[in-house]
Amino acid sequence: MTRGHDALRLLARRSKSSTSTTPPLCLTCLSTLHARLTHTQASPLETAPIEPSPSGRAPPALTSTTSPSTRYLLKASILLSRPPLLTRPLTPFEKSHFLYQKRLNERLVLPFTRYFYYQRGTPEEAEWKRKMKERKTPARDIGVYNAYGEEGWNDEVLVGERIGEPEEQVEALLRDAEKEGREGADPEGAVVKREVVERPMPRVTEADRVGDLRSLNRKLERTLYLVVKGGEGLMGEEAGWRFPTALLEKSRQESLHTAAERIIVQTGGVNMNTWVVGNMPIVHNVYNYKHPVVNKQHGFELRGEKVFFMKARILAGQANLTNNKFGYEDFQWLSKEELQNTFSARDWNAVKTILPER
Amino acid sequence: MSLSIPLRRASPPNPSIPRIQCRHATLIRRPKRPYTFTQLVTLSDGSTYTQRTTSPAPVYKSTKDTRNTPLWNPSSQKLLNMESDDSGKLRAFRDKFGRGWDASRMQERDEDVDREEGEAEVEGRGEMEEDNLMDLISGYGQEAEEKGEAAGSRKAKERSGKGKGGER
Repeated sequence: MTRGHDALRLLARRSKSSTSTTPPLCLTCLSTLHARLTHTQASPLETAPIEPSPSGRAPPALTSTTSPSTRYLLKASILLSRPPLLTRPLTPFEKSHFLYQKRLNERLVLPFTRYFYYQRGTPEEAEWKRKMKERKTPARDIGVYNAYGEEGWNDEVLVGERIGEPEEQVEALLRDAEKEGREGADPEGAVVKREVVERPMPRVTEADRVGDLRSLNRKLERTLYLVVKGGEGLMGEEAGWRFPTALLEKSRQESLHTAAERIIVQTGGVNMNTWVVGNMPIVHNVYNYKHPVVNKQHGFELRGEKVFFMKARILAGQANLTNNKFGYEDFQWLSKEELQNTFSARDWNAVKTILPER
Repeated sequence: MSLSIPLRRASPPNPSIPRIQCRHATLIRRPKRPYTFTQLVTLSDGSTYTQRTTSPAPVYKSTKDTRNTPLWNPSSQKLLNMESDDSGKLRAFRDKFGRGWDASRMQERDEDVDREEGEAEVEGRGEMEEDNLMDLISGYGQEAEEKGEAAGSRKAKERSGKGKGGER
Protein backbone atom coordinates (compact mmCIF):
# COMPACT_ATOMS: atom_id res chain seq x y z
CA MET A 1 0.00 0.00 0.00
CA THR A 2 1.55 3.25 -1.16
CA ARG A 3 0.86 6.80 -0.22
CA GLY A 4 -1.04 7.19 -3.48
CA HIS A 5 -3.46 4.51 -2.42
CA ASP A 6 -4.20 6.30 0.81
CA ALA A 7 -4.83 9.56 -0.96
CA LEU A 8 -7.06 7.78 -3.41
CA ARG A 9 -9.16 6.28 -0.69
CA LEU A 10 -9.47 9.66 0.94
CA LEU A 11 -10.64 11.12 -2.32
CA ALA A 12 -13.16 8.37 -2.91
CA ARG A 13 -14.57 8.85 0.56
CA ARG A 14 -14.84 12.59 0.02
CA SER A 15 -16.53 12.22 -3.32
CA LYS A 16 -19.08 9.82 -1.87
CA SER A 17 -20.13 12.07 1.01
CA SER A 18 -22.37 14.74 -0.42
CA THR A 19 -21.86 17.08 2.51
CA SER A 20 -18.26 17.83 1.64
CA THR A 21 -17.58 20.97 -0.35
CA THR A 22 -15.39 19.31 -2.95
CA PRO A 23 -17.10 18.22 -6.15
CA PRO A 24 -17.51 14.46 -6.70
CA LEU A 25 -14.94 12.64 -8.80
CA CYS A 26 -15.57 10.05 -11.45
CA LEU A 27 -13.82 6.68 -11.54
CA THR A 28 -11.70 7.58 -14.56
CA CYS A 29 -10.37 10.65 -12.83
CA LEU A 30 -9.59 8.59 -9.76
CA SER A 31 -7.63 6.01 -11.69
CA THR A 32 -5.67 8.56 -13.71
CA LEU A 33 -5.04 10.49 -10.55
CA HIS A 34 -3.69 7.39 -8.92
CA ALA A 35 -1.34 6.74 -11.82
CA ARG A 36 -0.11 10.29 -11.63
CA LEU A 37 0.34 10.31 -7.88
CA THR A 38 2.59 7.29 -8.04
CA HIS A 39 4.40 8.85 -10.96
CA THR A 40 5.00 12.42 -9.81
CA GLN A 41 7.13 11.62 -6.84
CA ALA A 42 10.19 11.10 -9.04
CA SER A 43 9.59 13.91 -11.51
CA PRO A 44 11.45 17.18 -10.94
CA LEU A 45 9.19 20.11 -10.11
CA GLU A 46 9.48 23.41 -11.83
CA THR A 47 8.75 26.66 -10.11
CA ALA A 48 7.00 28.95 -12.48
CA PRO A 49 4.29 31.47 -11.76
CA ILE A 50 1.25 30.49 -13.79
CA GLU A 51 -2.35 31.44 -14.04
CA PRO A 52 -4.63 29.42 -11.78
CA SER A 53 -6.74 26.60 -13.12
CA PRO A 54 -9.78 27.75 -15.09
CA SER A 55 -12.22 25.66 -13.17
CA GLY A 56 -13.02 24.84 -9.60
CA ARG A 57 -13.78 21.26 -10.50
CA ALA A 58 -10.16 20.19 -10.73
CA PRO A 59 -9.20 17.68 -8.06
CA PRO A 60 -8.67 19.31 -4.67
CA ALA A 61 -5.33 19.54 -2.97
CA LEU A 62 -4.38 16.21 -1.48
CA THR A 63 -1.58 17.02 0.86
CA SER A 64 -0.63 20.60 0.34
CA THR A 65 2.69 20.35 2.11
CA THR A 66 4.42 17.58 0.20
CA SER A 67 2.74 16.75 -3.13
CA PRO A 68 0.90 19.36 -5.20
CA SER A 69 -2.52 18.52 -6.69
CA THR A 70 -2.72 18.14 -10.44
CA ARG A 71 -4.90 20.37 -12.52
CA TYR A 72 -5.78 20.66 -16.18
CA LEU A 73 -6.98 23.52 -18.30
CA LEU A 74 -10.53 22.64 -19.36
CA LYS A 75 -11.52 23.46 -22.90
CA ALA A 76 -14.63 22.90 -24.98
CA SER A 77 -14.31 22.20 -28.69
CA ILE A 78 -17.31 22.57 -30.99
CA LEU A 79 -18.07 20.02 -33.70
CA LEU A 80 -20.54 22.17 -35.58
CA SER A 81 -21.84 20.11 -38.47
CA ARG A 82 -24.27 20.49 -41.33
CA PRO A 83 -26.14 17.22 -41.91
CA PRO A 84 -26.31 15.77 -45.42
CA LEU A 85 -29.13 17.25 -47.49
CA LEU A 86 -29.27 14.54 -50.15
CA THR A 87 -29.46 10.78 -50.00
CA ARG A 88 -26.27 8.96 -50.84
CA PRO A 89 -25.61 7.83 -54.41
CA LEU A 90 -26.49 4.18 -55.04
CA THR A 91 -23.88 1.55 -55.78
CA PRO A 92 -24.04 -0.19 -59.20
CA PHE A 93 -25.25 -3.37 -57.49
CA GLU A 94 -28.08 -1.51 -55.76
CA LYS A 95 -29.12 0.13 -59.01
CA SER A 96 -29.35 -3.15 -60.91
CA HIS A 97 -31.04 -4.85 -57.96
CA PHE A 98 -33.73 -2.21 -57.69
CA LEU A 99 -34.42 -2.35 -61.42
CA TYR A 100 -34.69 -6.14 -61.26
CA GLN A 101 -37.10 -5.90 -58.31
CA LYS A 102 -39.28 -3.42 -60.18
CA ARG A 103 -39.48 -5.66 -63.23
CA LEU A 104 -40.19 -8.69 -61.07
CA ASN A 105 -42.94 -6.71 -59.38
CA GLU A 106 -44.48 -6.12 -62.81
CA ARG A 107 -45.08 -9.85 -63.09
CA LEU A 108 -46.50 -10.22 -59.58
CA VAL A 109 -48.94 -7.33 -59.06
CA LEU A 110 -52.44 -7.02 -60.37
CA PRO A 111 -52.57 -5.42 -63.80
CA PHE A 112 -53.18 -1.68 -63.96
CA THR A 113 -56.89 -0.81 -64.02
CA ARG A 114 -56.84 1.77 -66.74
CA TYR A 115 -60.53 2.65 -66.78
CA PHE A 116 -60.52 3.58 -63.14
CA TYR A 117 -58.11 6.43 -63.85
CA TYR A 118 -58.81 7.32 -67.50
CA GLN A 119 -62.32 7.74 -68.82
CA ARG A 120 -63.11 5.98 -72.06
CA GLY A 121 -62.90 8.17 -75.12
CA THR A 122 -61.04 11.07 -73.53
CA PRO A 123 -57.82 12.53 -74.96
CA GLU A 124 -56.01 11.36 -71.82
CA GLU A 125 -56.97 7.82 -72.59
CA ALA A 126 -55.77 8.16 -76.16
CA GLU A 127 -52.44 9.51 -74.97
CA TRP A 128 -52.13 6.76 -72.39
CA LYS A 129 -52.73 4.15 -75.08
CA ARG A 130 -50.15 5.68 -77.35
CA LYS A 131 -47.48 5.79 -74.67
CA MET A 132 -48.37 2.33 -73.45
CA LYS A 133 -47.82 1.02 -76.97
CA GLU A 134 -44.30 2.45 -76.97
CA ARG A 135 -43.11 1.17 -73.63
CA LYS A 136 -45.25 -2.00 -73.42
CA THR A 137 -45.82 -1.52 -69.66
CA PRO A 138 -47.65 1.04 -67.50
CA ALA A 139 -44.45 1.83 -65.59
CA ARG A 140 -42.27 4.60 -66.97
CA ASP A 141 -39.04 3.92 -65.17
CA ILE A 142 -38.19 0.35 -66.16
CA GLY A 143 -37.60 0.84 -69.85
CA VAL A 144 -39.33 -1.15 -72.58
CA TYR A 145 -40.34 -4.33 -70.82
CA ASN A 146 -43.35 -6.56 -71.28
CA ALA A 147 -43.95 -8.60 -68.14
CA TYR A 148 -46.47 -10.94 -69.83
CA GLY A 149 -44.71 -11.37 -73.15
CA GLU A 150 -42.25 -13.93 -74.48
CA GLU A 151 -39.35 -11.86 -73.25
CA GLY A 152 -40.70 -11.52 -69.68
CA TRP A 153 -37.77 -13.48 -68.28
CA ASN A 154 -35.31 -10.97 -69.65
CA ASP A 155 -35.63 -8.66 -66.65
CA GLU A 156 -32.08 -7.92 -65.57
CA VAL A 157 -30.17 -4.78 -66.45
CA LEU A 158 -27.81 -5.34 -69.35
CA VAL A 159 -24.23 -4.18 -69.58
CA GLY A 160 -24.07 -0.57 -70.70
CA GLU A 161 -27.82 -0.02 -70.21
CA ARG A 162 -28.58 3.29 -68.50
CA ILE A 163 -32.16 2.56 -67.40
CA GLY A 164 -30.98 1.43 -63.96
CA GLU A 165 -29.58 4.88 -63.18
CA PRO A 166 -31.85 6.99 -60.93
CA GLU A 167 -31.16 10.09 -63.06
CA GLU A 168 -32.32 8.23 -66.14
CA GLN A 169 -35.49 7.09 -64.37
CA VAL A 170 -36.30 10.63 -63.22
CA GLU A 171 -35.71 11.85 -66.75
CA ALA A 172 -38.10 9.18 -68.06
CA LEU A 173 -40.78 10.34 -65.60
CA LEU A 174 -40.34 13.96 -66.62
CA ARG A 175 -40.46 13.11 -70.31
CA ASP A 176 -43.72 11.30 -69.68
CA ALA A 177 -45.13 14.28 -67.79
CA GLU A 178 -44.58 16.58 -70.75
CA LYS A 179 -47.92 17.02 -72.44
CA GLU A 180 -47.88 17.02 -76.19
CA GLY A 181 -50.42 18.75 -78.33
CA ARG A 182 -51.12 16.79 -81.53
CA GLU A 183 -52.70 17.81 -84.77
CA GLY A 184 -56.23 16.55 -85.30
CA ALA A 185 -57.97 13.83 -83.36
CA ASP A 186 -55.51 11.20 -84.52
CA PRO A 187 -53.24 10.21 -81.62
CA GLU A 188 -50.46 9.58 -84.13
CA GLY A 189 -50.66 13.10 -85.54
CA ALA A 190 -47.63 15.40 -85.71
CA VAL A 191 -46.51 17.06 -82.47
CA VAL A 192 -47.59 20.68 -82.38
CA LYS A 193 -46.51 21.83 -78.95
CA ARG A 194 -44.58 20.23 -76.13
CA GLU A 195 -44.95 21.55 -72.59
CA VAL A 196 -41.59 21.34 -70.87
CA VAL A 197 -41.59 20.28 -67.21
CA GLU A 198 -39.10 21.91 -64.88
CA ARG A 199 -36.09 19.69 -64.18
CA PRO A 200 -35.04 19.09 -60.56
CA MET A 201 -31.96 20.81 -59.17
CA PRO A 202 -28.66 19.05 -59.88
CA ARG A 203 -26.87 17.17 -57.12
CA VAL A 204 -23.67 19.07 -57.88
CA THR A 205 -23.96 22.74 -56.93
CA GLU A 206 -22.19 25.86 -58.09
CA ALA A 207 -20.03 25.86 -54.94
CA ASP A 208 -18.85 22.33 -55.81
CA ARG A 209 -17.84 23.38 -59.29
CA VAL A 210 -16.04 26.54 -58.15
CA GLY A 211 -14.50 24.77 -55.13
CA ASP A 212 -15.83 27.27 -52.60
CA LEU A 213 -14.88 25.70 -49.26
CA ARG A 214 -16.71 28.33 -47.23
CA SER A 215 -20.10 27.67 -48.75
CA LEU A 216 -22.67 25.54 -46.96
CA ASN A 217 -24.12 24.52 -50.33
CA ARG A 218 -21.23 22.21 -51.15
CA LYS A 219 -21.09 18.40 -50.93
CA LEU A 220 -24.82 18.07 -50.36
CA GLU A 221 -24.65 14.34 -49.65
CA ARG A 222 -21.95 14.64 -46.97
CA THR A 223 -21.79 15.98 -43.42
CA LEU A 224 -19.78 19.20 -43.28
CA TYR A 225 -17.88 20.43 -40.22
CA LEU A 226 -16.90 23.96 -39.32
CA VAL A 227 -13.13 24.39 -38.96
CA VAL A 228 -11.33 27.64 -38.18
CA LYS A 229 -7.80 28.87 -38.57
CA GLY A 230 -5.81 31.21 -36.35
CA GLY A 231 -6.24 32.13 -32.72
CA GLU A 232 -4.54 30.39 -29.87
CA GLY A 233 -3.75 26.73 -30.51
CA LEU A 234 -3.52 23.82 -28.13
CA MET A 235 -0.61 23.85 -25.68
CA GLY A 236 0.45 27.26 -26.93
CA GLU A 237 1.39 25.93 -30.35
CA GLU A 238 0.86 27.53 -33.72
CA ALA A 239 -2.77 26.99 -34.58
CA GLY A 240 -3.59 25.40 -37.92
CA TRP A 241 -7.04 24.36 -39.06
CA ARG A 242 -9.08 22.94 -36.19
CA PHE A 243 -12.49 22.99 -34.57
CA PRO A 244 -13.37 26.16 -32.61
CA THR A 245 -11.99 25.62 -29.13
CA ALA A 246 -12.01 27.81 -26.03
CA LEU A 247 -11.50 27.65 -22.29
CA LEU A 248 -14.44 27.18 -19.99
CA GLU A 249 -15.17 30.31 -17.99
CA LYS A 250 -14.03 29.68 -14.44
CA SER A 251 -15.77 32.72 -13.02
CA ARG A 252 -19.22 31.47 -13.98
CA GLN A 253 -18.64 27.79 -13.15
CA GLU A 254 -19.67 27.23 -16.73
CA SER A 255 -21.04 23.88 -17.83
CA LEU A 256 -20.00 22.29 -21.10
CA HIS A 257 -23.20 22.84 -23.04
CA THR A 258 -23.54 26.49 -22.06
CA ALA A 259 -19.90 26.93 -22.97
CA ALA A 260 -20.64 25.30 -26.32
CA GLU A 261 -23.46 27.73 -27.02
CA ARG A 262 -21.29 30.66 -25.99
CA ILE A 263 -18.34 29.55 -28.15
CA ILE A 264 -20.55 29.09 -31.20
CA VAL A 265 -21.89 32.62 -30.90
CA GLN A 266 -18.49 34.13 -30.12
CA THR A 267 -16.95 32.36 -33.09
CA GLY A 268 -19.51 32.52 -35.87
CA GLY A 269 -21.74 35.38 -34.81
CA VAL A 270 -25.46 35.40 -34.22
CA ASN A 271 -26.41 34.76 -37.83
CA MET A 272 -26.44 31.00 -37.31
CA ASN A 273 -29.37 28.90 -36.22
CA THR A 274 -27.60 26.19 -34.24
CA TRP A 275 -28.51 23.43 -31.86
CA VAL A 276 -26.17 21.83 -29.35
CA VAL A 277 -27.19 18.20 -29.52
CA GLY A 278 -26.49 17.09 -25.96
CA ASN A 279 -25.21 18.23 -22.59
CA MET A 280 -22.50 15.59 -22.66
CA PRO A 281 -19.32 15.69 -24.73
CA ILE A 282 -19.06 13.05 -27.45
CA VAL A 283 -15.36 12.53 -26.82
CA HIS A 284 -12.65 14.06 -24.69
CA ASN A 285 -8.94 14.26 -25.13
CA VAL A 286 -6.12 14.83 -22.65
CA TYR A 287 -2.97 16.65 -23.68
CA ASN A 288 -0.09 16.56 -21.20
CA TYR A 289 2.63 19.17 -21.09
CA LYS A 290 6.18 17.89 -21.45
CA HIS A 291 7.05 19.64 -18.21
CA PRO A 292 4.14 20.22 -15.84
CA VAL A 293 3.91 23.74 -14.46
CA VAL A 294 3.90 23.93 -10.67
CA ASN A 295 2.25 26.73 -8.77
CA LYS A 296 3.75 26.66 -5.28
CA GLN A 297 1.68 29.52 -4.00
CA HIS A 298 -1.65 27.75 -4.54
CA GLY A 299 -0.19 24.31 -4.23
CA PHE A 300 -1.11 22.67 -7.50
CA GLU A 301 0.55 21.43 -10.60
CA LEU A 302 -0.75 22.23 -14.09
CA ARG A 303 -0.39 19.05 -16.05
CA GLY A 304 -1.85 19.92 -19.42
CA GLU A 305 -5.16 20.47 -21.17
CA LYS A 306 -8.38 18.50 -21.40
CA VAL A 307 -10.51 19.16 -24.46
CA PHE A 308 -14.17 18.12 -24.53
CA PHE A 309 -15.80 17.86 -27.95
CA MET A 310 -19.42 19.02 -28.06
CA LYS A 311 -21.65 18.10 -30.97
CA ALA A 312 -23.80 20.79 -32.56
CA ARG A 313 -25.84 21.16 -35.72
CA ILE A 314 -26.30 24.18 -37.93
CA LEU A 315 -29.87 24.49 -39.21
CA ALA A 316 -29.69 27.80 -41.05
CA GLY A 317 -27.44 30.79 -41.55
CA GLN A 318 -23.72 31.03 -42.13
CA ALA A 319 -20.64 31.65 -40.01
CA ASN A 320 -19.24 35.17 -39.92
CA LEU A 321 -15.83 35.60 -38.28
CA THR A 322 -15.81 39.37 -38.03
CA ASN A 323 -15.82 40.35 -34.33
CA ASN A 324 -15.04 36.81 -33.21
CA LYS A 325 -13.49 36.74 -29.74
CA PHE A 326 -10.77 34.17 -30.31
CA GLY A 327 -8.79 35.77 -33.10
CA TYR A 328 -9.83 33.34 -35.81
CA GLU A 329 -8.92 34.47 -39.29
CA ASP A 330 -10.62 32.05 -41.65
CA PHE A 331 -13.20 29.28 -41.68
CA GLN A 332 -14.16 26.36 -43.90
CA TRP A 333 -16.88 23.75 -44.10
CA LEU A 334 -15.15 20.41 -44.69
CA SER A 335 -16.20 16.80 -45.04
CA LYS A 336 -14.53 13.92 -43.23
CA GLU A 337 -11.86 13.17 -45.83
CA GLU A 338 -10.99 16.83 -46.17
CA LEU A 339 -10.65 17.05 -42.39
CA GLN A 340 -8.12 14.24 -42.49
CA ASN A 341 -6.05 16.08 -45.06
CA THR A 342 -6.31 19.41 -43.27
CA PHE A 343 -5.82 18.46 -39.63
CA SER A 344 -2.56 17.62 -37.95
CA ALA A 345 -2.13 13.92 -37.18
CA ARG A 346 -2.75 14.50 -33.48
CA ASP A 347 -5.96 16.44 -34.02
CA TRP A 348 -7.20 13.92 -36.56
CA ASN A 349 -6.58 10.98 -34.24
CA ALA A 350 -8.54 12.75 -31.53
CA VAL A 351 -11.74 12.95 -33.58
CA LYS A 352 -11.57 10.32 -36.32
CA THR A 353 -13.60 7.74 -34.43
CA ILE A 354 -16.54 10.02 -33.69
CA LEU A 355 -17.17 11.34 -37.19
CA PRO A 356 -19.83 9.43 -39.12
CA GLU A 357 -18.85 7.84 -42.42
CA ARG A 358 -20.97 10.08 -44.56
CA MET B 1 -75.04 -54.34 -15.48
CA SER B 2 -71.77 -55.94 -15.80
CA LEU B 3 -68.70 -53.79 -16.02
CA SER B 4 -66.75 -56.39 -17.81
CA ILE B 5 -65.42 -55.38 -21.22
CA PRO B 6 -65.11 -58.09 -23.78
CA LEU B 7 -61.50 -58.76 -24.47
CA ARG B 8 -60.28 -58.20 -27.96
CA ARG B 9 -57.20 -59.36 -29.61
CA ALA B 10 -54.83 -56.47 -30.24
CA SER B 11 -54.67 -55.93 -33.93
CA PRO B 12 -51.47 -54.79 -35.64
CA PRO B 13 -51.61 -51.20 -36.99
CA ASN B 14 -52.67 -50.70 -40.56
CA PRO B 15 -49.48 -49.91 -42.45
CA SER B 16 -51.31 -47.85 -45.05
CA ILE B 17 -52.46 -45.17 -42.58
CA PRO B 18 -49.66 -42.91 -41.36
CA ARG B 19 -49.61 -42.78 -37.59
CA ILE B 20 -47.93 -39.43 -37.28
CA GLN B 21 -50.26 -36.49 -37.50
CA CYS B 22 -49.45 -34.30 -40.46
CA ARG B 23 -50.83 -31.19 -41.98
CA HIS B 24 -50.52 -30.69 -45.67
CA ALA B 25 -49.91 -27.26 -47.09
CA THR B 26 -53.07 -25.25 -47.54
CA LEU B 27 -53.41 -22.88 -50.40
CA ILE B 28 -52.61 -19.30 -49.34
CA ARG B 29 -53.81 -16.93 -51.95
CA ARG B 30 -51.37 -14.33 -53.19
CA PRO B 31 -52.32 -10.99 -51.63
CA LYS B 32 -53.93 -8.68 -54.12
CA ARG B 33 -51.66 -5.74 -54.49
CA PRO B 34 -52.73 -2.88 -56.70
CA TYR B 35 -50.47 -1.71 -59.49
CA THR B 36 -48.04 0.96 -58.28
CA PHE B 37 -46.16 3.54 -60.31
CA THR B 38 -43.03 5.48 -59.52
CA GLN B 39 -43.84 9.14 -59.00
CA LEU B 40 -41.50 12.10 -58.81
CA VAL B 41 -42.50 14.43 -55.96
CA THR B 42 -41.25 18.01 -56.05
CA LEU B 43 -41.55 19.87 -52.78
CA SER B 44 -42.14 23.60 -52.61
CA ASP B 45 -38.45 24.39 -52.16
CA GLY B 46 -37.47 22.41 -55.24
CA SER B 47 -36.19 19.26 -53.55
CA THR B 48 -37.35 16.06 -55.19
CA TYR B 49 -37.76 12.40 -54.38
CA THR B 50 -39.44 9.41 -55.99
CA GLN B 51 -42.12 7.34 -54.34
CA ARG B 52 -44.26 4.34 -55.22
CA THR B 53 -47.92 5.22 -55.55
CA THR B 54 -51.08 3.97 -57.20
CA SER B 55 -51.58 7.31 -58.90
CA PRO B 56 -50.63 7.22 -62.58
CA ALA B 57 -49.46 10.86 -62.57
CA PRO B 58 -45.71 10.78 -63.25
CA VAL B 59 -44.91 14.07 -61.48
CA TYR B 60 -46.46 15.67 -58.41
CA LYS B 61 -45.59 19.23 -57.48
CA SER B 62 -46.53 20.32 -54.00
CA THR B 63 -47.41 23.95 -53.26
CA LYS B 64 -47.74 23.81 -49.48
CA ASP B 65 -45.62 21.52 -47.33
CA THR B 66 -43.17 21.62 -44.44
CA ARG B 67 -40.62 23.42 -46.55
CA ASN B 68 -42.66 26.62 -46.81
CA THR B 69 -44.67 26.55 -43.60
CA PRO B 70 -43.52 29.21 -41.10
CA LEU B 71 -44.01 26.77 -38.22
CA TRP B 72 -41.38 24.44 -39.68
CA ASN B 73 -39.08 27.25 -40.80
CA PRO B 74 -38.81 29.62 -37.84
CA SER B 75 -35.57 31.17 -39.10
CA SER B 76 -36.79 31.95 -42.60
CA GLN B 77 -37.20 35.69 -43.00
CA LYS B 78 -38.86 35.24 -46.35
CA LEU B 79 -41.72 33.23 -44.89
CA LEU B 80 -42.22 35.54 -41.92
CA ASN B 81 -43.05 38.43 -44.23
CA MET B 82 -45.36 36.35 -46.35
CA GLU B 83 -48.97 37.45 -46.39
CA SER B 84 -51.43 34.66 -46.89
CA ASP B 85 -53.89 35.78 -49.52
CA ASP B 86 -54.95 32.45 -50.97
CA SER B 87 -58.49 33.49 -51.83
CA GLY B 88 -57.40 36.86 -53.24
CA LYS B 89 -59.62 38.83 -50.84
CA LEU B 90 -56.82 41.16 -49.78
CA ARG B 91 -55.98 41.93 -53.38
CA ALA B 92 -59.60 42.64 -54.17
CA PHE B 93 -59.81 44.97 -51.17
CA ARG B 94 -56.71 46.84 -52.27
CA ASP B 95 -57.98 47.17 -55.81
CA LYS B 96 -61.06 48.83 -54.42
CA PHE B 97 -59.75 50.95 -51.53
CA GLY B 98 -56.01 51.34 -52.17
CA ARG B 99 -53.15 50.43 -49.84
CA GLY B 100 -53.96 53.12 -47.24
CA TRP B 101 -55.50 50.54 -44.91
CA ASP B 102 -52.39 48.35 -44.64
CA ALA B 103 -51.30 47.52 -41.12
CA SER B 104 -48.04 49.48 -41.33
CA ARG B 105 -49.80 52.62 -42.55
CA MET B 106 -52.52 52.30 -39.93
CA GLN B 107 -49.81 52.22 -37.27
CA GLU B 108 -48.32 55.48 -38.50
CA ARG B 109 -51.77 57.03 -38.47
CA ASP B 110 -52.37 55.85 -34.90
CA GLU B 111 -49.13 57.48 -33.81
CA ASP B 112 -50.23 60.75 -35.40
CA VAL B 113 -53.53 60.55 -33.57
CA ASP B 114 -51.73 59.93 -30.28
CA ARG B 115 -49.59 63.00 -30.81
CA GLU B 116 -52.65 65.14 -31.51
CA GLU B 117 -54.33 63.85 -28.39
CA GLY B 118 -51.31 64.73 -26.32
CA GLU B 119 -51.39 68.29 -27.63
CA ALA B 120 -55.07 68.89 -27.03
CA GLU B 121 -55.68 67.22 -23.72
CA VAL B 122 -58.05 69.84 -22.44
CA GLU B 123 -60.93 68.77 -24.62
CA GLY B 124 -63.26 65.93 -23.79
CA ARG B 125 -61.98 62.52 -24.70
CA GLY B 126 -65.13 61.12 -26.27
CA GLU B 127 -65.52 64.17 -28.44
CA MET B 128 -61.90 63.81 -29.50
CA GLU B 129 -62.32 60.25 -30.65
CA GLU B 130 -65.45 61.12 -32.53
CA ASP B 131 -63.56 63.88 -34.29
CA ASN B 132 -60.79 61.53 -35.21
CA LEU B 133 -63.15 58.97 -36.57
CA MET B 134 -64.89 61.62 -38.63
CA ASP B 135 -61.51 62.79 -39.86
CA LEU B 136 -60.63 59.29 -40.84
CA ILE B 137 -63.81 58.74 -42.76
CA SER B 138 -64.01 62.09 -44.51
CA GLY B 139 -60.35 63.00 -44.86
CA TYR B 140 -58.98 59.64 -45.86
CA GLY B 141 -59.88 59.58 -49.52
CA GLN B 142 -58.71 63.15 -50.14
CA GLU B 143 -55.47 62.63 -48.34
CA ALA B 144 -54.67 59.47 -50.24
CA GLU B 145 -55.60 61.11 -53.51
CA GLU B 146 -53.26 63.98 -52.80
CA LYS B 147 -50.46 61.51 -52.29
CA GLY B 148 -51.44 59.73 -55.46
CA GLU B 149 -51.96 56.47 -53.64
CA ALA B 150 -55.62 55.91 -53.97
CA ALA B 151 -55.53 54.58 -57.48
CA GLY B 152 -58.06 52.03 -56.33
CA SER B 153 -60.60 54.62 -55.35
CA ARG B 154 -60.43 56.16 -58.79
CA LYS B 155 -60.91 52.76 -60.27
CA ALA B 156 -63.93 52.24 -58.06
CA LYS B 157 -65.45 55.44 -59.39
CA GLU B 158 -64.88 54.33 -62.94
CA ARG B 159 -66.51 51.05 -62.17
CA SER B 160 -69.59 52.76 -60.75
CA GLY B 161 -69.72 54.92 -63.86
CA LYS B 162 -69.69 51.88 -66.02
CA GLY B 163 -72.54 50.42 -64.00
CA LYS B 164 -74.60 53.52 -64.71
CA GLY B 165 -73.72 53.32 -68.36
CA GLY B 166 -75.04 49.82 -68.42
CA GLU B 167 -78.36 50.97 -67.03
CA ARG B 168 -78.83 53.53 -69.70
